[in-house]
Amino acid sequence: MEYTREIYWNVGHGIGTLLPMYLLLLVALGLLVFGYWQRVKVYRLGKVLKRTDALPGRIVAALTQALSQAKVMRVAGAGTAHGLFFWGFFLLFIGTCLIVLQADFTDPLFGIQFLRGRFYLLFSLVLDLAGAVAIVMLLGLLVRRYLLRPDGLETRREDALIHALLLVILITGFVIEGARMAVTELGTDLAPWSPVGLLFAKALSGLGEAGLRALHSSLWWLHLLLALAFIALLPWTKLRHIFNVSANYLLADRGPKGNLTTLDLEAEGVESFGAAKLADLTWKDVFDSDACTLCMRCQDRCPAYATQKPLSPMKVINQLQEIAFGTPDAVLAETIGKDALWSCTTCRACQEICPAAIEHVPKFVDMRRNLVLMEGEFPGEEVMTAVNDTEVNGNPLGMAFAARGDWAEGLGVKTLAEDPEVDLLYFVGCYASFDQRNIKIAKSFIRLCQAAGLKVGILGKQEKCCGEPVRKLGNEYLYQTLAQENIELIQSYAVKRIVTSCPHCFHTLSKDYVDLGLSLPVEHYTVFLDRLLAAGDLQLGSETFSCTYHDSCYLGRYNDIYDAPRRLLAAAGGNIAEMDKSRSDSFCCGAGGGRILAEEKLGTRISESRAGMAAATGAPLLVSNCPFCLTMFEDGVKGAGFEDSLQPKDIAEILAERLPTRVGTGPDATVGQPNCKEVSA
Amino acid sequence: MKILVCVKQVPDMESRFKLNAAGSWYSEQDLAWRMNEYDEFAVEQALQLREQLGDGEVVVLSIGPDRVKEAMKKALAMGADRGVHIQDDASFDKDPLQIASMIAAYAADQGFDLIFTGMQSQDRGSAQVGVLLAGLLGLPAVTTIVAFAYADGAVTVRRELEGGQKAVVKLTTPALLTCQLGLNTPRYPTLPNIMKAKKKEILALTVADLLKAAAVTKTVATVFPEKKGGGLVLEGDVGDLADKLLAILKEKTTVFK
Repeated sequence: MEYTREIYWNVGHGIGTLLPMYLLLLVALGLLVFGYWQRVKVYRLGKVLKRTDALPGRIVAALTQALSQAKVMRVAGAGTAHGLFFWGFFLLFIGTCLIVLQADFTDPLFGIQFLRGRFYLLFSLVLDLAGAVAIVMLLGLLVRRYLLRPDGLETRREDALIHALLLVILITGFVIEGARMAVTELGTDLAPWSPVGLLFAKALSGLGEAGLRALHSSLWWLHLLLALAFIALLPWTKLRHIFNVSANYLLADRGPKGNLTTLDLEAEGVESFGAAKLADLTWKDVFDSDACTLCMRCQDRCPAYATQKPLSPMKVINQLQEIAFGTPDAVLAETIGKDALWSCTTCRACQEICPAAIEHVPKFVDMRRNLVLMEGEFPGEEVMTAVNDTEVNGNPLGMAFAARGDWAEGLGVKTLAEDPEVDLLYFVGCYASFDQRNIKIAKSFIRLCQAAGLKVGILGKQEKCCGEPVRKLGNEYLYQTLAQENIELIQSYAVKRIVTSCPHCFHTLSKDYVDLGLSLPVEHYTVFLDRLLAAGDLQLGSETFSCTYHDSCYLGRYNDIYDAPRRLLAAAGGNIAEMDKSRSDSFCCGAGGGRILAEEKLGTRISESRAGMAAATGAPLLVSNCPFCLTMFEDGVKGAGFEDSLQPKDIAEILAERLPTRVGTGPDATVGQPNCKEVSA
Repeated sequence: MKILVCVKQVPDMESRFKLNAAGSWYSEQDLAWRMNEYDEFAVEQALQLREQLGDGEVVVLSIGPDRVKEAMKKALAMGADRGVHIQDDASFDKDPLQIASMIAAYAADQGFDLIFTGMQSQDRGSAQVGVLLAGLLGLPAVTTIVAFAYADGAVTVRRELEGGQKAVVKLTTPALLTCQLGLNTPRYPTLPNIMKAKKKEILALTVADLLKAAAVTKTVATVFPEKKGGGLVLEGDVGDLADKLLAILKEKTTVFK
């Protein structure tokens, strides 16, 4: 016997079935198109932005991400359930399409039937299991939302509607199958290929053929109507995310990762900068706001939210959506709240985890740009002072610019003005130049380079702040002024390579400065030293010690550098006790987004939260790779009361401690035992 | 209302100062420059008054070499309408009366209703230019103001006295006021204003046109202050610390008398 089944069994395949069915489908599709037509009008309130370049690559990326559910499944539990539900429902959708394709197109037009034989057996089994998986996952999510109710999960009326709709569609599907099987398949060897359907068939078999047929045809129409309702409701309910999130994968920023728009500050006729109102954002920003599924992942990872500051990235995105669809003339900073905007550390945890590929950080910066450039506002007077100091002295600490190179005295390092023939330019940054604690990083890096036989040059008093903190605060004008001065200076020397010790400098020089004309290899010192170590150019003594390691935001999430610093620590003998929040899930120290210049007046201290996480590992050392982080942790460790048990250190310091000590000072000095005495394991 | 604001460009006070070759003033090598802090309060107050009245002109004046235009541009970016630059490469060598007389020579026939200056400069700190200028112009002057109000031609200011006391002074325009910390918070220039400032007029005048007065004082030498005893760090038990602190306060200060 040929394995197959009669499609449109019991409901008939005549005009009486097909005409209303396809008319209803047209109505559903009409509502879908009309709904999105309405929404597209709102998306177009935003400014022009091109996101359709490199289309083939975008399409592949979008299909891969949407179908694999990779971003969704990154969070186990609800994410896994969503992924499995998606796959179940998606297979059922494909199955339904195949049925329609054969029954109404290939068979009547060309006499082609493909739902038969072994393929039909597989088809039956796969769809049957897909339906079962979808129901189980949906029930799990139902229990989570309505019984477990995770903190902060917002449940709206439409959630109940959508849960009910999906559940009824799936269950009626099985009842319809069960009724049909009870009449046509029970006892055949086809039946076991629909194991769940078979259970329904057995349960229903007592109804008798007439009852089964009546049940079947009425539920068939109900199932059809609900499935069409699903299509029609897409733009009007949270089901919208199916389209919007997939489209967001297609329209994603294709990098460089973490790059901000470099404003043309002298453009003719442009009188307003940054985003004051919705129309100042791009259409993609509006589209983003409509793609949010309220999944809370951003909020759960936001260091500002976790320390009781008035910022939730999720809430801001939703406020933007409410403004777009309700009050498009609203002043953004007033609706969202300036304290919320200033609380962001631009740590990118929200953006990194967002399963809907929403781009949060550029929106915050855009709104800040308006506050700074158009209103002259800052989060506090201390920040305005630091910004003024940066204008005057080229550093936010208010130190004399002429003293910028003082830390290098006696180290045998020259400025490029004195000697431009060097292997690398070390761009020191403000904190490693001026801050007593961070100067140790600069000195350590010089010792490491010298041990590798490299000639390092610095810019000394000619170097200025890279502009990163003021840029993230929204002061694009000052950033571009500083950047152009630095770029002209660097280009005036024959620099081959730049290495930074600060991830903020690294990110800015390697990515942001490209827009302004700098095109030189720029590396963070961890990557640079990792390469020297691998090539055998750098020799380190190794003595076992234990530590925990903090991934800074601008090395980690912004630049995906996770392994080079860990390899360096391992080479130095370090056993890393990882914190729960590490690598791309790392928790900001609180200094990003220009917050290093601001007093943390709201909520609790982010640095103390992070110090607590580090202390929980039991390791005596909290190792970081960033002068901003080190500054925050020196305070955070004390503030949280761990100063006796947890010592903050930079990787460079640890590596420099493990350089073979030189006996004597001349060029013929002999190499002695590694100096590891400061290590407390 | 026509308002004049006199500003001075001074070195950032964190700079590392060295003496010039003559030993008469600081060397300009490796200095970062900014607007005198007290003058920023003066600019801000003038702008607030113009905004309050909805009309008027704020003229910003500075004496010195070309670099002082940067300080004037900051004032113009904050919102001042135009600048007057008295070009003088040796302004540091002039005494306060000469500085005041040059400003007076310019301002005498300009019909300014109010003149704001800082209460003193951060580098020289003579605190004389404002009052000397008022004297030369025959204007009433109030120094070290920390609050300002204007209504119907009448100015009401609070000025700082010794021992934390404040005085309220009322006067009518024209008048001159010197501004003290606490008067206001100077605004940060917006980008459109920074761009506009680049096109604002700066009238250039020369010393020869304006300087009639001879110096009445002369700087003989400039020296660094002698290093005296630094701060005192008390250590030990909290109870003992309190007693030690109390003893020092009783012995060396008047807070308990």
